[in-house]
Order: sequence, then structure tokens, then C-alpha cells
Amino acid sequence: MLWVDKYRPKTLDKVIVHQDVAQNLRKLVSEGDCPHLLFYGPSGSGKKTLIMALLRQIFGPSADKVKVENKIWKVDAGTRTIDVELTTLSSTHHVELNPSDAGFQDRYVVQEIIKEMAKNRPIDTKGKKGFKVLVLNEVDKLSREAQHSLRRTMEKYSASCRLILCSNSSSKVTEAVRSRCLNVRINAPMEEEIVSVLEFIAKKEGLQFPQGFAARIVEKSNRNLRRAVLTFESCRVQQYPFTNNQTIPPMDWEQYVSEIASDIMKEQSPKRLFEVRGKLYELLTNCIPPEIILKRLLFELLKKLDSELKHEVSNWAAHYEHRMRLGQKAIFHLEAFVAKFMSIYKSFLISTFG
Amino acid sequence: MDMEFPDAAELEWLEANASYPDEEEDDLEFDDDFLQQPPSPPGSEQITSQPDPKPTLSLPPKPSLPKPQLPINSRKRFLPDDPESLSDDRNAVVITEEKRSRVEDNDEDWLRYSPPKQPEEEEPMVVEQELEEEPEEKILAKYALEIDGDCTPVTGLDELLSDEQTNRQVLMWLKQWDSCVFGVEIKSTTDDVLSSLKQHSLAVQHPRRSSKSSFGNSREPRIDNEKAHNDLHPENSDSDRIKDLWDKKHRKGGPPEQKILLLCGPPGLGKTTLAHVAARHCGYRVVEINASDDRSSASIEAKIHDVVQMNSVNADSKPKCLVIDEIDGALNDGKGAVEVILKLVSAERKLRAGKENEPEGGNAGQKSSKKRHHKTSLLRPVICICNDLYAPALRPLRQVARVHIFVQPTVSRVVNRLKYICNRERVKTSSIALTALAEYTDCDIRSCLNTLQFLNKKKETLNVLELSSQVVGRKDATRSAFDIWKEILQKRKVKQTKKSFNCFSSVSNDFETLHSLISHRGDYDLIFDGIHENILQLHYTDPVMQKTVQCSDILGCSDIFHQYTMHTQHLSLQVYQSPLAMSIHGLVAQIGKPNIEWPKSFQRYRTMSIEKKEILHSWKNKIPPSISRHLSTKSFVEDLISPFLHILSPSTLKPVALHLLSDKEKAGLAQLVNTMVSYATTYKNIKSDPSLVMHHGASDVSMLALDPPIGEFINFKGYDSCHIVLASAVKVFLVHEAEKQKILQGSSNLHSPPTGAERQDVLRCENSSTMSKASALSDKTIHFRDPSRQKHYDLPSASSQNKRSAGGTTASGKVWLPERKNKPFVDSRSFFDRFRKPSDKTPQDNDHAKLKQKLEERDSRPLLFKFNEGYTNAVKRPVRIREFLK
Repeated sequence: MLWVDKYRPKTLDKVIVHQDVAQNLRKLVSEGDCPHLLFYGPSGSGKKTLIMALLRQIFGPSADKVKVENKIWKVDAGTRTIDVELTTLSSTHHVELNPSDAGFQDRYVVQEIIKEMAKNRPIDTKGKKGFKVLVLNEVDKLSREAQHSLRRTMEKYSASCRLILCSNSSSKVTEAVRSRCLNVRINAPMEEEIVSVLEFIAKKEGLQFPQGFAARIVEKSNRNLRRAVLTFESCRVQQYPFTNNQTIPPMDWEQYVSEIASDIMKEQSPKRLFEVRGKLYELLTNCIPPEIILKRLLFELLKKLDSELKHEVSNWAAHYEHRMRLGQKAIFHLEAFVAKFMSIYKSFLISTFG
Repeated sequence: MDMEFPDAAELEWLEANASYPDEEEDDLEFDDDFLQQPPSPPGSEQITSQPDPKPTLSLPPKPSLPKPQLPINSRKRFLPDDPESLSDDRNAVVITEEKRSRVEDNDEDWLRYSPPKQPEEEEPMVVEQELEEEPEEKILAKYALEIDGDCTPVTGLDELLSDEQTNRQVLMWLKQWDSCVFGVEIKSTTDDVLSSLKQHSLAVQHPRRSSKSSFGNSREPRIDNEKAHNDLHPENSDSDRIKDLWDKKHRKGGPPEQKILLLCGPPGLGKTTLAHVAARHCGYRVVEINASDDRSSASIEAKIHDVVQMNSVNADSKPKCLVIDEIDGALNDGKGAVEVILKLVSAERKLRAGKENEPEGGNAGQKSSKKRHHKTSLLRPVICICNDLYAPALRPLRQVARVHIFVQPTVSRVVNRLKYICNRERVKTSSIALTALAEYTDCDIRSCLNTLQFLNKKKETLNVLELSSQVVGRKDATRSAFDIWKEILQKRKVKQTKKSFNCFSSVSNDFETLHSLISHRGDYDLIFDGIHENILQLHYTDPVMQKTVQCSDILGCSDIFHQYTMHTQHLSLQVYQSPLAMSIHGLVAQIGKPNIEWPKSFQRYRTMSIEKKEILHSWKNKIPPSISRHLSTKSFVEDLISPFLHILSPSTLKPVALHLLSDKEKAGLAQLVNTMVSYATTYKNIKSDPSLVMHHGASDVSMLALDPPIGEFINFKGYDSCHIVLASAVKVFLVHEAEKQKILQGSSNLHSPPTGAERQDVLRCENSSTMSKASALSDKTIHFRDPSRQKHYDLPSASSQNKRSAGGTTASGKVWLPERKNKPFVDSRSFFDRFRKPSDKTPQDNDHAKLKQKLEERDSRPLLFKFNEGYTNAVKRPVRIREFLK
């Protein structure tokens, strides 16, 4: 088992990073009821961990007894019935699913599941909660229609069902849904917090952990706790005892992106653009989301760029990311950004060096 | 009834045919002799007496016909005069269908057994006699109200604009059906046919015009043909040999290999005409299904079955020939029709595989069996006509069908033909104007004729300068995607003729054509993919990449556009896609011919990424939910995989036997194996593939690679990852250990609640206790939970740990003390569980009792052997020594 899983706090009492949030959640549960919740924050900040711990807090350890179910939902959509296949994770008290997997039929899935949960509502004996919890992951990928259909069902079935939504950005969740939830912002942990987590793990594992080294890992990790712990473990595996200047293995795709960036800096021509396209395809093929590629590419380019241009280039990156989200073929827009950058950079070079 | 039908049918048919000349022709004399002929019992005298009145008819472009050919031609058409054939023919009229089929068979012989080039020469003669009626007929039908019989029927052979080679092949193909459709008897006349063909081959060196008299009963010419040769070459030289040959072939007989004929080519070249004429010529009744008919799968299936399998009960008991026009167009992209046909063909295949030699008997049985759809087979020729051979719907059909591609005739040929028609119709034109017209319409004869006719009616003359406004009734010309990409990415050369227009109009002209071209094609998604694929390969001057930026912006635009229209279903907005493509044309079009490739890379990316997502998905499903629930696909690739691979391949792991490892190394190994198991990874033998980065360290024939191929995800082209590759010995070792671990888990699950639950039990106890106690315990539980799979399962106390480690170090040989729980656990499942169950409830209280119990158990069996030489994946079973001693 990886350290990420091994040292994942199981209860709200034991969280290290978001103690204040955990405290509040605990208070919330102690009241005996809880509202709908929306957790949002960047990946690797501990949303899921907090949600699991919260479920545990509400329902006790039986919430951890989960089973995977691959269920086909028969959905009656007006004129025809649609079969939607979806994997759910469920315990006796909650159901967890990823509605965006159902594509554009997510709307039906959400409605159907909530209705079903409402139907077999648990009996409110003492000590037991009279509601079930539905955890919806990646709500920001939920279609607008699904979110709209969600808001009514949220109210209608609130007696028997609580929703916990989890998303990366609250801006992708419609206003209506947001206002029906208690929004919990899980920000990326501060660097000191990550260091303290790493030190905690090191202590548990009985490792000698030089202070400067932790800081380096954290710096590389982009304030992503998961990544920090994973990197830490891979460092441990590669070389122990640690030395302060030990190489920290990079993320391979990031390395590749930085290669692309240096390719772009070296030459600006349609031919080079064509090569870059091939590499971008490579990244996309390996399931790396295009927005992240663009973001990383911008980051790498900015590192190498004259400060005059930074603002302009960032502006264009935002422009193309916006277009990318509007469109469908990410490669077109990624490439357009690269072309734009090449053009800007080349004319800059010409104007400065003649 | 057979006695009656053929006769009546024939007459009817003949009448129908004869009516063409009536309506369309001024040549009454011709009509006369034509009309006279069929009803009368074959009057041979008449025919012989008028060798060729028609050929000399006033066909302006007609080249001189060689005399020797003409008698043959005319004889072919009319009934022969030699006694044998006469009797034969009378029979044909009076006697049965069977007889007729025999005749047709002859015809087939004649096609098959003639030296290859001969039928080629011969066919057009026969075919085109009739071919030419068709286009004119159509046009006339269209404009029937306007034109009263002042249109010329097309009569000449050459006027069938399709290429002769194709015509012949089509006819050949149809002929091959004869044996199956009509049922054949072998006739000895084959040699005659041969010789006749020889005769023809002499004649046909010259350009041919058939005589007007050529049309008529389609079957007759062939009959006559034979007869004619009978009397030309009465000697039966090597008929026996040929007969033998024929026998052999015929026994195998039946329809041709490819049962579908697929004619394709741009509109207006006469595909439909050819199909109709050829089919009619061979004695079929043409049943046409075209784009205007109902094309839903069900209705078309019924229709096709009717045609293909039923005998016609109609008056003319002619077999039917199915012509499916515009199969690529219209509803469902022709899929319905294609599916039905394919079903038929495949059914036929199976049938043939089943019982080899049953051409006609089987068929006859099936003809009526409409209900047995799955067993039905194709018994009639089917001709499919399409414009775009590479339409996706036709892909399966292409593989089973015989494909003929129509090429554009030369302009001069079209012009000649037009001129001829104009003369006939007494329309005044200039050949310059006609040439321009032909060029403008891309040699689409239909469009040319329509235009001419229209103008004629309006009493206007064709004007070279206003051609574009004058041409009416253009059929939608859809071009292949390649053509469109070429048009977009290549500047059109300004042709000589076009220079006559002023510059401005030619620009707008280009604009027009490009626009119509793109919007006719309509498949904007594909078009833009193609542009994207090829645009960077173009050569254009672009110092600061402005053009490239613009182009990629336009491409992005089109993508957003496409997404929006698809999302909102406002498909009418698609119209604005083509200007986007045209603006790209304006930016980067080059003069040189671009090297255009099909947009594969995007498709490849799409399929590959779906594949990889699938791998991730299935991997995620294999990982126990308690772990996988925390990971999304995104974080898998983004954060997890790189460090995970590092963790899986520690540099410190040495490929040595387990007992040689130090304690620390063992702990590391245990940790690694545990990780592998909990993340459901293992190494698997795969065929050596040098392209895979994961394992170029090993030189074995079969190498070990990670089982969910995670390594693939960081395997970027042109990128070297710095991951350490484990030696294959280590991998083998790891696989073994992981297997063992899994078995351990599995066995513990058999008797106790699943691992997750069991952990929860522990955690619950901890929960119930006070905070401080819980935190103190948590270390223990974690500690205990993790190595529990690996080493000691049920000894949470520190003392036992010590003991265990001591045991581990002392156990140097292959004999372990029982405390060494690593191995013995396999067989200890029963006795552990015996006291495990109570211990679950109250682990702390029972600690001592449990220990005592355990020690007793242990003492009863003081020694434990573990045979650990080499590794194998075979199922192992722990055996007690005392079982050997029995």
C-alpha cells in the first residue's frame, strides 16, 4: 500500500492539513443533521479524504464497508428508454458515483438515483440517521442540464437524501446548486502544512528526514499533497538515507512538456509547429487533460521568457483555453496557442535583435 | 401457361419498345420495319432483303461503316434466314420459356468462349444499340410537355458516353447470370458464335455506329446473332472441344463470383443508362429503386427480396434485374439497402459452402420461400449505382461487389455527341459554345442536354459568355473529400479559356465554385480535419507566422462553431462553415500540388486515448474500492503514475534469495509487494516487443511487463524516462511474492470478513476507546494491518514481534520455526481463524489467551518444512510431514 493511502487520515480527528475545516465539519455532524455540501478545491488538497472522514463521522465505521457495483440504469426519457451504465460505490449509508461518466445522459442518472434512494429511505431508528448520502464526484463536469435538474430534486428529496458534491472549481457549478449547498472550500495546503505531513510520515516510517529536503519536495509538488507524498515515497525508494541534494524524480509528462517548451523556444516555424503537434498528440493520447497541458506549457514558457512578454502570452493562453473549453478538438486550440506564441516570440526577437 | 405467356409478353414488350421511335423519331420507315418484324413469325426474307437501310440514316457524326459488318448487324437484329434458325425461332415464339433460355445460353456461350478480345469488340455493338434510347427518353419525359417529338433519340453506339471497356464488362457480368437465371442447356452452336465473333473482330476495328434498327426486343439481337453466324460459318470445326469445355464450366456454373455490380462515377455520365440498357439487353426486366423511393431498411428489404428471389408472375415472365440507383445518397446513407444486399450475399456464401453443387435445383426451391429470409440467396443480378465510391456506407459493399468506375469522357467526345444531337434537333450551336458548355458542366451530358433543350425552347442560343447563367438543372455534384482539400489548399491555375473573362469575375467565380464545392460536400468536420492535417505541410511565405496563426485561429473557430451547432442542434448554422474554409484557402493556397493526406492522426489519437482510458478504467476497477475511490482518472495520469513507477522499481532491490536479504531490505520488499497487490499490478509475460520501453533491460524471449501496462502512459515518443528497469529475475520474484500475497489475502477472506471490513472492526474498537488511546492504538493498528498480510497475522504484541524477527534471522536454511509466520501462514488458516473470530470482538482482552492457545497449537507441530527451491506459479498446497509418515 502506498503511503498516500496508508497515512490518509480516516477520521476527522486525525487530519493534519485542514484542521479548521475538519473542526467545523465535526460540529456540523454533532448537531445530528447536515445540509447539502459542496466541497471544492484543487486536486490533491484533500477533498475526498475529508468527505470520507465526514461520512465516517456521521455513520460510523460501517460507512467504510463499500462495494463496487456496476449498475445499468433504465431511464425513461420521454419517447424511449435509455440504458445508462455506471459504476457506483456504495455502503449501506451512502452511494458514491461519478455522474459525468454517463456523458450527456448524466441528467437522468442523477435524478434516477436520487429518486431510488428516496424510495428506500432508511428507517429512522434511534442512533441511526434518517437519510442517505449521495456523493457526486466531478460535479464541474456535470452538464448544465443535469445541474438544473439537480436543484429541484435536491429540495424535493432533502428529507431522505443529502448530497455531497465534490468539484475542482465552484465556478463550474451553477449558482442555483451552489446556493443550496454549504460550500466548503478546500484550498491547496500551504507548504508548511505539507512539510508537516511529510515529517509525520517520516516519523511513522522511522526515517531520517533532512529539513531542506522536505522543502524541496514540497516546492516541486505544486502544493499538491498527494503528489508530495508520492514523490516522497519514490525518493525513499530510490535512495535512502536522504541527502539534501538528492534528485527528485520529476513527473514524466511535465518533463515532456518542458521539452516541448524548449523546442518552441528554439525555432519558430510551421515545420516546428508540426513537430510540436506530434508531441501534443502524444500527451493527449496518454489521457492528460488538454487544459493541464496548456497550463503547464504556459508555465514552462514563462520560465524562459522575457518579462515584457509574460503578460501578453498569459493573456493569449487564457484566450485559447477559453476557446478550447468551448470547442471539442483540443488539439486545434493547443496548436493555435503555440502558433500564437511562436508569432509573438518571433516578432519580438526580430524587433530586439534586428 | 408457359405456352402462352412468353409470346404475349414478348409482343407487349416489343410494342412498348416500338413506341419510342413513334414518339421520338421522325424516321417512319424505320419504325415500320421494326414494327412489322416482331409480331410476325420471324420473317427472314424481310430481314435479309434489307441488309441495312438504317445505317445510312442521316447521322451526321457517323463515321463510315465497313460494309461487312452491316449485314451481320442487321441480321442480328432481325430474324435469320437459314432454315435451322428459322425453325428455332418459331419454336422460340411458340414453345416454352425453356427454349428461350436455351437461346440465351447460347448467347452466353458466345460471350464466354470467344477469345477475350472478341466479346469486347462485340458487346458494344449490341449494347449500345439500345443504350442510346435511354438518356433521351429521360430528358424527353422531363420536358414532355414542352417538346413534342422534336428531340432525337440517341441511337449511335458511341453515343453511349461511358467507356466501352466498362460497357463490355458490365454486359459480361450480366451474361454470367444467364445460367443461373434462365437455366441453361448446352448448345452446340458455340463454335458458330465464336466464328461470328471473329468475324466481328474484323469489323469492329472501325468506329461503330449501330443502325437505328438496333433497338427492339433485346433478346432478339442475340438470337439473330447466333443464327447469322450459323449461316455465315456453317462448318462445325472444333465444336466438340468447346462443348466439353463448356460442359465443365457449366456444371460448376451459376452466377458470377461477385454477385453485385457497383457502378460509380460522377453524375451525368450514363451509369443508370448503362445499367438499364445492359439489363434489358440481357433479357431482364429492370426494377429500379432510386433515391426517391422509400429507403427504409424494412421496405427495401421486402422489395429486394421480391425482386431477387421471386419469379415474376407478371405477364412478361422475364426475370427481374434490380438496379439500385444512387445507393450512396438519400436516406440512411443507403445503409438499409447495403445491409440487405450484404445479408443476401453472405447467406449465399454460407449456402454455397454447405452444398456445393446445386445451382438451379436449390434456387428453384428457394424462390418461393420468402419466409426463410436467413436462408435466402441472391438469384438475380443486382446493379448498384453510386456517385462516391468511398462513401462510408458502401465500405462493406465494396468488398463483395464488382466495381466499375466511370471516367469522364473527353470533352471532344461529348461535344461531338452534342453536335450530333443539335443537328438532329435542328438547334444552332457552335462547337466553341458546346465545348465551353461541356467543360462547364464537367462533361455531364445530362446537364448539357438539359441546358440545350431549355435554351432551345426559349429560342435562345447558347452563349459562351453567359454560360454560367444559362446552365440549368445541375445535379448536386458531391466530390470526394480529397478533391475538396486539394481545391482549398491549392490555387487553381487560371486556364487559357478563362482568361477571356475579366480578372474580377474569375475571382468571384473561384469563390463561387469553392463555396458550392464545400457546401455540397457538407462534411465540415472531416474537411477541417483534413485541412488541419495538411496545412502545416504547405509552402507559403510567412515570416512571423501571422498566416499560421490566422489559420489555426480559423480552425479553432470552426471547431467552436461545430461544437455549438451540434450542441444546440441548429444545423442550419453549418452554412457558415464553408466561408471559414474559404478564408483558409485565401490565406495559404499554394500553386504547387499539395501532398494531401487523409487526416489519420486525429482519428488515431481518438482511438488510442479511448483505449488507454479503457485500460485505466479496468485497472481502477481492479483496485480495491477503499483505495480507488480517492483517485480520479485525471489524478491517475497526472500525479500517480510517474512516482508509482518509481516506487515499483526500487534501485536497492537485489535479485538474491529471500533469506540473504537484510531485515531492512525485507521490510522494503514486503512494502513493495504490498503496494503491488493493493494496486492490483503484477508482471506478466508478454511477447518481446522492442518498441516498448518498459523492458529493454531483459533479453529473454518473453519478457515481463507490468500487467496493467502503466508504463505506456509515460511512454512518449522521443522521450526517455529515467525509470529504473528491474532485472527480470527480480520481476519473477516479485510476481511470485505478489501471487502469494494475494492467496494469503484470499484465504484470510474465506474465513473472516473482507479485509476492509476487518480493518474497520479494529478501527471501531479504536473509535470506542478514548482519544488518547485511539491515537496510541492507531500506530499499532496501522503497523499491524499492513504487515499482517505479509508476516504475522495475529500477533500484535511487541514481544511476539521480537520473537518473530529472531525466528526470521535464525531460520537460515529451509527450515523455519513456526513463529516465522511469513510462510506457515498458508497452512495455518484454520487454526488462526479458530481463535481469530473471538479476537475480532475483543482483541485486547483476549491477547493472552490467544497467545497461549497459539503456542499450544504450535507445539503440537514443532517443525515446518518449506520447500522453496525456485519459483513456480503452480498451485501449491501445504502438506504436513505426518501425512508423509503415515
